[in-house]
Amino acid sequence: MKKILLGMAALAVMLPATMEWALRQSNVVWATEQTTEELPPPDLYKDTPDWYRAVYKDNVGLSEGAGPFSKYFKPQMLDMYWQPNRHYEPMENLDHSIFIEQERRDLCVICHEEATPGIVADWRSSGHKNPKSTPYLSSRTALIEKNVGRVLNEVHCFDCHADTEKKQIRMPTGEVCGGCHRQQFDEFLREREMGRPNHLQSWEANTIVPWYAEAARRGYLYGQHGCDMCHSGAEKCDVCHTRHKFSAVEGRQPEACITCHMGPDHPDAESYGESKHGVIYEKEEEHFDFTKPLVEVRPGKDYRTPTCQFCHMYEKHGRFIHNPVMKGIWRMGTIPPSNLEYTSSLKDYPYGINLIPDKIDIYSEENVAKRSYWLEVCANCHSDRFADTYLKSLDQFMFQAHTLADQAQKIVEDLIADGILYPDAANRDPYPLSDGIVNELNADFLGEPVYNAFKTLKGKFPVVGPILGVYGMFLQQQDNPSHIENEYNRLWFWYKLQGYKGTAHAQQDVSWWWGQAPMMMSMTRIQSEAARLRREAGLEKK
Amino acid sequence: MKPKGLFYKFGFLSAAVFSCAVMSVNMRPTTASAIEIPTEVTEEGKNVYKKYCSPCHGEEGGGDGPLSRSMIPKPRDFTRGAYKFRSTPSGSLPTDEDIFRTISYGVPNSTMIPWDILTEEQRASVIPVLKSFSEAFEYREPDAPVEVGLPLRPTERTILEGKKIYEEKLECWKCHGVEGRGDGPSAAEQEDDFGFPIKPFDFTTGKFKGGNSPTDVYLRFTTGLNGTPMPSFAKELSDEERWYLTHYVMSLVQPEECEE
Repeated sequence: MKKILLGMAALAVMLPATMEWALRQSNVVWATEQTTEELPPPDLYKDTPDWYRAVYKDNVGLSEGAGPFSKYFKPQMLDMYWQPNRHYEPMENLDHSIFIEQERRDLCVICHEEATPGIVADWRSSGHKNPKSTPYLSSRTALIEKNVGRVLNEVHCFDCHADTEKKQIRMPTGEVCGGCHRQQFDEFLREREMGRPNHLQSWEANTIVPWYAEAARRGYLYGQHGCDMCHSGAEKCDVCHTRHKFSAVEGRQPEACITCHMGPDHPDAESYGESKHGVIYEKEEEHFDFTKPLVEVRPGKDYRTPTCQFCHMYEKHGRFIHNPVMKGIWRMGTIPPSNLEYTSSLKDYPYGINLIPDKIDIYSEENVAKRSYWLEVCANCHSDRFADTYLKSLDQFMFQAHTLADQAQKIVEDLIADGILYPDAANRDPYPLSDGIVNELNADFLGEPVYNAFKTLKGKFPVVGPILGVYGMFLQQQDNPSHIENEYNRLWFWYKLQGYKGTAHAQQDVSWWWGQAPMMMSMTRIQSEAARLRREAGLEKK
Repeated sequence: MKPKGLFYKFGFLSAAVFSCAVMSVNMRPTTASAIEIPTEVTEEGKNVYKKYCSPCHGEEGGGDGPLSRSMIPKPRDFTRGAYKFRSTPSGSLPTDEDIFRTISYGVPNSTMIPWDILTEEQRASVIPVLKSFSEAFEYREPDAPVEVGLPLRPTERTILEGKKIYEEKLECWKCHGVEGRGDGPSAAEQEDDFGFPIKPFDFTTGKFKGGNSPTDVYLRFTTGLNGTPMPSFAKELSDEERWYLTHYVMSLVQPEECEE
């Protein structure tokens, strides 16, 4: 008996050491014990200059707007949900700080189950509620556990919405998501490398343009829902992975894109949706396996045709990336190519303005490489020659469209040069926010000639063509722009872009009837309007 | 094993059980009766009410705070002195302890959370504030709490008797549905005294609004829910019958649905 007791005592003493040894043998390292690599916290504005952070990231509540012209307008209250970093203010009606101070996680759901049952139901069915409900989710969660250094059996309201420093509720931005989903966050951040247009800088695209601030200053902010509800995608992940399910499966479906990617300036939904690719998707939707990460999708088996995500999120050499802009060559179709001889002032585009990108060299080394990555995608189903021929035909379509736009711009510019544009710039409202442009920008941003023009002429001069000439579609002012200028805007900003999307997404009807045909008809209208103006000017002289 | 060994084993176990019992006694929250409820409105009470209650219940207790407009069910309007969860007979005002209990326990299936996040003193301090919203408390005293008869142990027979009452004698199913899901034929027509539609309780959820113990449920049948179409059955049913009914409606709970 004594021996047994002695043995047991010895075992008891040795047990911890034995267990530790056994654990080491089996390579088990608990999540909490794993060492984590120290990363700086996720920052949507990483590597941006101080002035930029100060007007986009620093929270000013609703006291002023965002962007270089932020002092010229106050945001609408809704902007706090769309740009939380800049504008969010916690609710005044009910102070939630007590729940955060006491970390009463249980109470969130008890109240919101009744107050907002939909979002609680969403969360309950999400991977956040049950991050280990499937082997796949478990494996992904294990990676996150390793990175964040804690065990995640549930990701709770509190984890994303509680600002434990300020003891306030916060509206999560991508930076909150990036705390766990770092890879996706960092890949999304790479959009900045590619330049605008992109998602990450979409609020910049909204607010850096003077017509937005001018409209806001004039009290037309509530007409801007059409701009804001898409361009607010800059900071948030729920644009594609809607709250509070935040589903990857949802984000992989073409429908995730279409609320923004539709309409006259980029009819992606229409052109993809009615193309053979889109029609097959619609007919055979139930055969698409969206639970698979894109990299595991077997073309022809999991997807019979490509989705927006499959083509646009393919990076290169079999790799996918968590942003859809990496292979963009024509960049939404607005930027003129450098491969054409222009007759209009487009030959000088972008006129020394540093805020807008240079012309695109379609045959640059970078773009030729990007094209080869596109061909890798197409090669899942199409021969290299067929795909290459098709995409080259897209290039030719774009060259022709830009040539037509150049001719139209020349007509308008000749009218200006001959003093025939009516009403002329001296007798109409100035260019939007000209005073703000002079005060807030400088020659570094606009280049010497353009900045000086604003400074001396105070906006009393015509601005035509991409991209600053598009203001007539976003702001209505007295006689500015005139009819012929607006007609030209429609040609290059609507019809050219519609034709581009129709051709790029292989939708013949959109290519012709929304693109090529209206472009030609618009050109005719511009020609006859120019002829009318010249005739009237001639008659006046007599 | 020697008897001595056995003794030690049980000795240890009983010591452990005892210390657990002591600990649980210490950890038990102080009951309502043990804390002092102020009789007059205090500054603290006003402040607590303003900060934590008025967003839903309104500055003047009219159930019309800024958050109330999108809420269903609507927050209680205190101006009528009609309180659902009481220990007092139908139509009577609640006792202070009743109000304290509702504040601390909350009302399941509503946005009224258990406000145990506030200290007991804070919770007690709002009671005179709530009462100040209704004249009723100036003119009347709450009746004495109803007597809770000797509880019955639930058996097959008591549940069956309860079922008969539910289905035949009182026809509870007309509002609460045959399976107790709150979906009886008259469910959609129900309105509370404030003119808002009110959903008959769904027993399958298991989240009894006035508390989950059999006594809590028994009390609802005995006192009724003031301000709602749910009457008291103190007269229609004998004490035993109310226990039968309690056992029956508690048998309707669907445990797997409660887990949600």
